[in-house]
Amino acid sequence: MDKNATLDAKGLMCPMPIVGLAKKVKEMKSGQVLELLCDDIGGKEDVPAWCSRTGHTLLSMEEDGKILKFYIKIK
Amino acid sequence: MADKMTMVVSEGTFDKAIMPLMLATTAASMGTEVNVYYTFFGTKLLKKGANPKMPGMMRLFTGMMVGRMKKMGIPDFDGMMKQAMELGVNFYACSTTMGLMGISESDLRPGVKVLGAAAFIKKAQESNVNLFIG
Repeated sequence: MDKNATLDAKGLMCPMPIVGLAKKVKEMKSGQVLELLCDDIGGKEDVPAWCSRTGHTLLSMEEDGKILKFYIKIK
Repeated sequence: MADKMTMVVSEGTFDKAIMPLMLATTAASMGTEVNVYYTFFGTKLLKKGANPKMPGMMRLFTGMMVGRMKKMGIPDFDGMMKQAMELGVNFYACSTTMGLMGISESDLRPGVKVLGAAAFIKKAQESNVNLFIG
């Protein structure tokens, strides 16, 4: 998946990945894609919830062992 | 209608200090306007240099809790307050309680505002989430 930036939130527990995500997205431009890496189990539900409330698009989610990879398109 | 949330914090122990900040930070990250109102013992948390401890005998374990939290990527109380403010969370001290507890405006952390009950109730009425923490 093509991406413009990666945010490594591995090792951070809920809600820190979401806080980091919100901060990072502010720095990015509309249409760009952010790859978010997270190994917190809460992330599976947190990231889609965040996207649905903020209007950014969750393109896909992959599971690589314990690591969750989210691809988010900035609105 | 934009998301708006209020929280009332009435106790000042470490656990009651951190919990609203976790929720406030998360909500602010989701674009919610968050207004946290501190009253009674909670008001002490808004003072410059506030360093809350776990309740009762567990106060001795506060350092251990903070250490564990840091390992999980969660900042300590001061760090969480700063992070919340950066994300736009609004912190309010109850004006009447300040009088009761002998806290003056100059004692408060920079960025904290003073608010009366009626103004707070108006914010609560305009919000879709209202929480009372401790």
